[in-house]
Amino acid sequence: MNEWAVKLKDVRKTYRTGPIEVPALRGVTLSIGAGEFAATAGPSGSGKTSLLNIIGGLDRADTGDIWVAGQNLQVLSAGELAHLRLQSIGFVFQTYNLLPVLTALENAEFTLLLQGMPARKRREKVEKLFSEIGLAGLEDRRPKELSGGQQQRVAVARAMVTEPALILADEPTANLDSASAIALLDVMEQLNRTTGTTFLFSTHDPQVMERAHRLIRLRDGQIVSDDTRSSPIAAVA
Amino acid sequence: MTSLFLLVKISWRNLWRNPRGTLLTALALGLGLALLLISLGLLDGGHEQTIADGVRFGPGHVVVQAKGYQDSSSDELLLPAQAVSDVQGFLKTGNIKHKVRGVSPRLLATGLLSTSASSAGVRIVGVIPEDERGVSLVPLRMVEGTYLTSNDKLSGVVIGDELARKLELKIGSKAVLMTQALTQAGAETGTGDEMNSTLLRVSGIFRTGLQAIDANMIYLPLSSAQALLGVTDDRVTQVALLLAQEGDSPLVARALRKQLEGSPVEVLTWRESLPMLAQILGLDHAFNYIMNGVILAMVGLGILNTILMRVLERRYEFGVSKALGLRPRQLAIMVVGESLALTAISLALGLALGLSVQHYFATAGLDLRWIFKTGLPPALVFDPILYSRLSVQRIVWSVSIVFAMATIISFYPAFKAAQTDLPDALKVL
Repeated sequence: MNEWAVKLKDVRKTYRTGPIEVPALRGVTLSIGAGEFAATAGPSGSGKTSLLNIIGGLDRADTGDIWVAGQNLQVLSAGELAHLRLQSIGFVFQTYNLLPVLTALENAEFTLLLQGMPARKRREKVEKLFSEIGLAGLEDRRPKELSGGQQQRVAVARAMVTEPALILADEPTANLDSASAIALLDVMEQLNRTTGTTFLFSTHDPQVMERAHRLIRLRDGQIVSDDTRSSPIAAVA
Repeated sequence: MTSLFLLVKISWRNLWRNPRGTLLTALALGLGLALLLISLGLLDGGHEQTIADGVRFGPGHVVVQAKGYQDSSSDELLLPAQAVSDVQGFLKTGNIKHKVRGVSPRLLATGLLSTSASSAGVRIVGVIPEDERGVSLVPLRMVEGTYLTSNDKLSGVVIGDELARKLELKIGSKAVLMTQALTQAGAETGTGDEMNSTLLRVSGIFRTGLQAIDANMIYLPLSSAQALLGVTDDRVTQVALLLAQEGDSPLVARALRKQLEGSPVEVLTWRESLPMLAQILGLDHAFNYIMNGVILAMVGLGILNTILMRVLERRYEFGVSKALGLRPRQLAIMVVGESLALTAISLALGLALGLSVQHYFATAGLDLRWIFKTGLPPALVFDPILYSRLSVQRIVWSVSIVFAMATIISFYPAFKAAQTDLPDALKVL
């Protein structure tokens, strides 16, 4: 098992729109240990999204090295990146992003299907996970028949069901009310504790910051603080 | 295999996310197919009628005549004496006999028909009435009197209504027919110069609507024509064949050519004996193909627009799927699958609609008489009620064309879906 779930060394990324250059990441060096429950925070434009995109293999850095699940993303092809995402990374998006034509269960087993897992095994895994995170009985509902909190929990189930090394969650509580947000964080923290899966959030939400065991603050594409605690960190606005 | 099943499932369900839009699109494509089927049915039906009428007013599906007659139209070129019996004998053998509906020997010549009122140049057609009834439409287009019968007196003649009007002829009226005799020597050498004339009595008047026939053709018994023209040995100009199926024309013509090999005769299908008609039909086919191409192109653009819009509005969704590990090829399969499912529904609708209308036009016909409120124009040759005819091959061809078009069209949206950019497609992450 790797000691590090994520390791970045001097990662730089600049977006170009015609003659205009916007530096998003300016020499970020960072390591996230396996099993961490960490969050990145910072104002808009600080580089949080770019950082998660690059760690998730959704975008490429201009320079630097990015290691995820023991692989250097900079040398992987698009197909290899897709394979890595399918096998080793789970995503939780801000707006849930469940496929509307699939039921909750089908959404959750989507990645397992892509992995080619047999139907019975898939169903067993998803149903077990659903009962753990309070979704039992909602398997056959379509996303539009679920509340925001329920949809986000299905998204977490979809991310978790393949037992990835890393889960990247972008503003997962942004569209939830406080009670739903707390319930969701409870679920994710419990999964982190029981499975050892690494969680990395991007967030503005003080509740997430409070619950994170490590808070990495970004500003203008650079890390300005990196606080690690064994217990939840007190949020600082 | 499992993921293919997933992609098909997603495609099918995606189709029904907007049922109204899906049904409207399917209806548009289905309407395209229906129009194609209806148009082809009427075209083929019209052509079939045109050919059927054309050959029955003319030389039949297949004609046997003296070598060189098609090019020269020389009256002196007659079939050899044995040719008619050879042809008739052969047509009664083997499989050929089931393909032939009628055989009519004809003697053709030009002459001058005169009355006290006027005179006109005419085309003389000597026929065996019973045989001619089995081939020609003229006996069915009598408007006054009766067609020739084998009991007719030798002087009986049937003429067109325009000629009757011009020469002020009525049933029972007399007219003098003058022509140059085709003496035996003349028939052989083309140098006959003896003028013969005979008195004829009008026994029937026909109207085909074809001015060339109604104003020029006169029909008299073959024996009468042979006597007038001085033709012996029962020789004739041509033998016209009416077949049960137009499509058998080349086959029957080939068989006859083989049978008559070595004789100074030519065996022509209607396409060869009526080249103008064949060309007009060919032109009509080409024009129709262009029109159908335009219809299909318009429908195709509609489909392209619909599928493309469906893809573009789901760009975010494709981005999520791609982020979760779906490969570009799988995304493309999903879009093509959706398009094919839409096409299948459209084809079912199109077939149901197209074949229903086609069936109606095939049985009740498309009555075009309403176009001519004051009566049919004299130049209208053919039946104004158009009956649709659609072969299985045509249906398969049409369905294949529409299916292929829809499939090809779906490639571009599929390509667009496969090209979904990460992370641009994900506005949040």
